[in-house]
Amino acid sequence: MVIQEEMGILDKLTILSDAAKYDVACTSSGVDRQGDGTGIGNCVASGICHSFSADGRCITLLKILLTNECVFDCKYCINRASNDVPRATFTPEEICHLTIEFYRRNYIEGLFLSSGVLRNPNDTMELLYQTLYLLRTKYHFQGYIHVKSIPGAAAELVEKTGYLADRMSVNLELPTAESLRKLAPHKTRRAILAPMRQIQTQMEENKNELTVYKKAPRFVPAGQSTQMIIGATPESDLQIISVAESLYQKFNLKRVFYSAFVSVNEDADLPMLPGGPPLLREHRLYQADWLMRFYKFRADELLSDQRPNFNVFLDPKCDWALGHLERFPVEVANADYDTLLRVPGIGVKSARRIVNARRFGSLSFEGLKKMGVVLKRAVYFITCEGKLMYPVKLDEDYILRNLLSDRERKDYEVNTYRQLSLFDPWMPEVKP
Amino acid sequence: MTVFLCENSIAGIFSGVYDAWASRAGHDNVRLALAENYNLELFAEYVTVMPDPEKAEKVIGTLKKRMHWEDFLSVYRAVLSADPEKADSIYRVIVLALHTSRRMIDHLEQPDVYHVFSMARKVGNEAARYLEFVRFRELENKALFSEIHPENQVLPLIGDHFADRFPLEHFLIYDSRHHLALFHAAKHAWVLMDMPEDMDPQRLRFSREEQEMSRYWQAFFDQIAIEERTNPRLQQQFLPLKFRAYMTEKFHKNNEN
Repeated sequence: MVIQEEMGILDKLTILSDAAKYDVACTSSGVDRQGDGTGIGNCVASGICHSFSADGRCITLLKILLTNECVFDCKYCINRASNDVPRATFTPEEICHLTIEFYRRNYIEGLFLSSGVLRNPNDTMELLYQTLYLLRTKYHFQGYIHVKSIPGAAAELVEKTGYLADRMSVNLELPTAESLRKLAPHKTRRAILAPMRQIQTQMEENKNELTVYKKAPRFVPAGQSTQMIIGATPESDLQIISVAESLYQKFNLKRVFYSAFVSVNEDADLPMLPGGPPLLREHRLYQADWLMRFYKFRADELLSDQRPNFNVFLDPKCDWALGHLERFPVEVANADYDTLLRVPGIGVKSARRIVNARRFGSLSFEGLKKMGVVLKRAVYFITCEGKLMYPVKLDEDYILRNLLSDRERKDYEVNTYRQLSLFDPWMPEVKP
Repeated sequence: MTVFLCENSIAGIFSGVYDAWASRAGHDNVRLALAENYNLELFAEYVTVMPDPEKAEKVIGTLKKRMHWEDFLSVYRAVLSADPEKADSIYRVIVLALHTSRRMIDHLEQPDVYHVFSMARKVGNEAARYLEFVRFRELENKALFSEIHPENQVLPLIGDHFADRFPLEHFLIYDSRHHLALFHAAKHAWVLMDMPEDMDPQRLRFSREEQEMSRYWQAFFDQIAIEERTNPRLQQQFLPLKFRAYMTEKFHKNNEN
């Protein structure tokens, strides 16, 4: 459908926010910047969410596309060239006006600008650049800007855009090159990784520059991120977190986002998902991602070729602990920080608090609770002054049953992954 | 036992601390309470504390010098708390802090310290929510207006953030529960003001563009949700109902309809 008459801002906003909603990243974190008093805006490193939409996801940035016109035909994407959807394009000036007016009212933390590919990658990237340039120089906007780098755009364009943005991202889209070939015929793994590498290299160069000239302009100060679609292609959880791990290590990414596949197009190459998007799987991947970034876990510790997918009933940390009971219980009075971090129910903060507090005196379970330890989970894995809190068995099945909530336990018992044997003495009666 | 009855304000409570300390009756023989909700006790003597900004400044100055910055921040936040029992715990913590070189976090086993820290955490959390959920509306004269209804007196904790963010804007955030307002004039420092109890935001006149922008925002807010992922429980966990009345978003009971 081609709409000829002049479209109002409200129509454009409706179309272009609807088209942008499948992008996950909406964080404003990673950079602290005070206002300089001459314009509008500042940034807070921890990030600020401004609202939560009906799906429970946070709204931090004005997340829109510059245009949903697109010459690419990625099969999973609502904006693919072969789809018949209403199309619209913002002018850079319109985007600036909306951003500033929303920002003044404290609706948003900044702008998240992405785009379909209009004519060709370079033209599109040039428009993104112009928008950011206007916003930073004419409107003196000092809030957060996250911009997508268009795969295939020239390196100079990526570079000059990077000096205006806080975060840049290139979507990996799918975990393997093969899946990408199948579902996104116009994108190649190379076209995606090249700008990612470029941004990484320039960030590092920029860091060196900044140590010499404090006033040098900053290049993508909040780092780069990427996202993968989960469940559209047959990769295992192990493959996915291994890809994420190598992105963190080799490309120095700030975040990898996982997006449960939402079926918006009918296509023979796409899976049918009668149960809706794989949200629980996405949740487990985020938990594992967290463990890799803050808890020093490696991907191959969490999963293995024998067990390539996460347990749906348990979070990856509890799951790991249950598989390594020989390491528990640990004594909170003398276990080192890294060991404490691996105890379910102890987080980065509480582990640090334990290490600090025990220098001044002995710890009690009550005291641990005040430090933020979740005893409900930790109680099976720790001792205080040599004693467990309750007499609990260090037995996998026993702990698992106790960790699950009543509702989960029912599900677990129905779908239990342990094979029942005819000769088990506790075999339950089979109900008709 | 002498009970010092303080006004429930920053100046009121810190003046109480000053007077109780200066009375030289001995820390065990004095108690601080809020004037607004005390119950008379037998065998106690009552002193009503006049809020005095000068005394309060002196106390704050001493605490800033002699306490760890984070401990001072916790005390300051506790002063803003809605907890009716806050005054005496604050006094105890100040006495303890000025007699020890250790951080308060290492004294968490003391009930008063724990009380102050938990009040501070609540106040800090609520203030953080208001950095997120404050919504400004533009008045006819282009100034920005916002109404909030917080449990604790969070305004002093959010002033710096908004002043830094909007240096060239005139704005006012009105706390309709405590009848206080945070006022910022362009290129000036923010100030806290008492507001008349009969202040009525309904009577304010908003600009023409305001209606347009709030409609745009409502449209964006609806569009950005993914229908297949609708999850009102999760939404409510992050954005409790009590904040919603003062926000521009139009919340639907059932979003898929």
